[in-house]
Amino acid sequence: MDYAVEINDVSKMFKLYHENVRSLKEKVLLFRKRGYERFWALEDINIKVEPGETLGIIGANGSGKSTLLKCITKILYPTTGKIITNGSIAALLELGAGFQPDLTGRENIYLNASILGFSRKEVDKKFDQIVAFSELDRFIDNHVRNYSSGMHIRLGFAIAINVEPDILLIDEVLSVGDEAFQRKCLERIEEIQEAGKTIIFVTHNVEVTKEICSNVVMLDHGHIIKSGNPRDVVNYYHQVMETTEESSERGSRQIEITGVTLFNEADEPASDFETGQSMKIKVGYRTSEPVTDPVFGFSIDDYRGFTAYGTNTMLKEMELGTVDGEGFVQFNLKSLPMLGGRYLVSVAVHSRDERTVYHWLERHVAFNMHSDINDAGMLYVPTEVEIS
Amino acid sequence: MIEKYRDLWLHRELLWNMTVKELKVKYKRSVLGFVWSFMTPMIMLAVFSLVFTFLAKNQDMHWFVVYLMCGLLPWLFFVNSLMQSVGSVVANAGLVKKVYFPREILPIAAVGANIFHFVMQMLVFFVFLLIIQWHFSIYILLFPLVLLLEIVLALGMSLFVAAANVYLRDVQHFVEVATMAWFWLTPIVYTMATFRNMFSSHPQMAGVFTRIYLLNPMTNIALMWQYIIYNPHRYGPSAAYISLWGIAYTTVGSFLLLFAAYYYFTRSERGFAEQI
Repeated sequence: MDYAVEINDVSKMFKLYHENVRSLKEKVLLFRKRGYERFWALEDINIKVEPGETLGIIGANGSGKSTLLKCITKILYPTTGKIITNGSIAALLELGAGFQPDLTGRENIYLNASILGFSRKEVDKKFDQIVAFSELDRFIDNHVRNYSSGMHIRLGFAIAINVEPDILLIDEVLSVGDEAFQRKCLERIEEIQEAGKTIIFVTHNVEVTKEICSNVVMLDHGHIIKSGNPRDVVNYYHQVMETTEESSERGSRQIEITGVTLFNEADEPASDFETGQSMKIKVGYRTSEPVTDPVFGFSIDDYRGFTAYGTNTMLKEMELGTVDGEGFVQFNLKSLPMLGGRYLVSVAVHSRDERTVYHWLERHVAFNMHSDINDAGMLYVPTEVEIS
Repeated sequence: MIEKYRDLWLHRELLWNMTVKELKVKYKRSVLGFVWSFMTPMIMLAVFSLVFTFLAKNQDMHWFVVYLMCGLLPWLFFVNSLMQSVGSVVANAGLVKKVYFPREILPIAAVGANIFHFVMQMLVFFVFLLIIQWHFSIYILLFPLVLLLEIVLALGMSLFVAAANVYLRDVQHFVEVATMAWFWLTPIVYTMATFRNMFSSHPQMAGVFTRIYLLNPMTNIALMWQYIIYNPHRYGPSAAYISLWGIAYTTVGSFLLLFAAYYYFTRSERGFAEQI
């Protein structure tokens, strides 16, 4: 069968010149002296996108996402390998690229659509729809130079998303515009999906890919390091991202936390839990000198930093007295209410007045929540439905 | 290559829109707008008429101002096409980096807009000629062919300099200087007869230098324009010079240049987005 987009062994090398020499004099003087480094932005990329599929491409900054997208649109050409596309392509790489400030909104719609490869006839049919989508009907005959940046973006998006290409490429543009407009864009994307068009979608907002993509590819330094169904790839993405940046510790170490272990219902150390199961967080400590009345606590955060739950011995109105030597503090969580996802446990011990932090381990241990429950949201609230 | 031509054909509407855009943007925010296209040749005609009728009267040529316009308007078309195309790719960096379309559309649209201006100016010029009851020769019917030849030459040059300028920005400045020198190497404000008179004391050298002089394609094109519009046999026999050898060479050369330049352009356009 014919793929909508077929990427075969594509690599892209950029030459990073040490000095950007562009004038004849320099070129003659520095003839053959100009050094450059090879930088492989993409290496051996193989992706096949079937017609009607929505593919998300995620990855950290500089992982090659945008380069790949530019290769698909033929703005850049791969150094080796081949990209085959079937059908008309419209790319939302930058909204309103090519708007002429001295022409009106109306004139720019026609010009911009023809840059994207669509004929006057096609635009004539869609014109009212484009204007309505952009919410600019009052300003459509004004010069674009008088538009605000938001109006610019809305018009650019309205054109690209309403001309109905066979393949739509979107690069990080949904993050612009207010929330209502973003909602509208997502709805429009769903319509495009229902019409059986192919979409390739590059974004940092990985949660959106869970909503709209059928497949996700994660890039890292020009390689595909994970691909498959959105939930798995996005979870993997969070894992990679958190190990690279987020855990940290601080404190005066009069009490040192020597270990944090999570136990499941069977009292085995675990990192996977089911909704509704119990969890024990066992915190080992050692003191370097006797400490009076410390407070032990923990919190469970999701990858965005939202705290699902947290408590400490002070909130529980416990007084530990003077602590010396080694020991354990164990928190017994009777029932975990979180639905599926990845969570991180932070553990801390500090003085009762919170002025002295003895030891604070931020985002120290990670665990995954699994659930058979298909409900939406972060937490499970047991709900019964009554109809009368 | 076939694929490239097909791609260009598929984007013909964009080419048209970009050409119209060049025209619209040029006179946007000016009160007179398109009238300027007519004003330029009208004012030129008025000034040159005054100068060449009262100040610098040419003895053996009637209506020297007409002779001058016959060479000057096509020259301006050529040089403006070149000047506008040379920076066309670089000036549209935002577009080239963000959207795919056949990049040759940029210089071609620049030439296209200048074709329009040229035709407008020629219209004004012809109205003037009709008013002074000009006697045209039958050769005026060759107008479209001469225009076509000049367009081919202008397109070829434009594609070449536009692509080269992406890699070497000196091209832009070079074109500016070179066209100035080129102007004086082309018989526009003087005639072929004046040029040949330089060698009156060394007749044996006239032939060689004339041949070298005719290697300039714009010389042949200017001579053709003057021949078909000015009607030199009636108004100024000293301007009646045409070289069939030169015309053949210019025709073959211009078409070869266009193909070669288009090939060069398509080869180098792959790197445009990285180089700009």
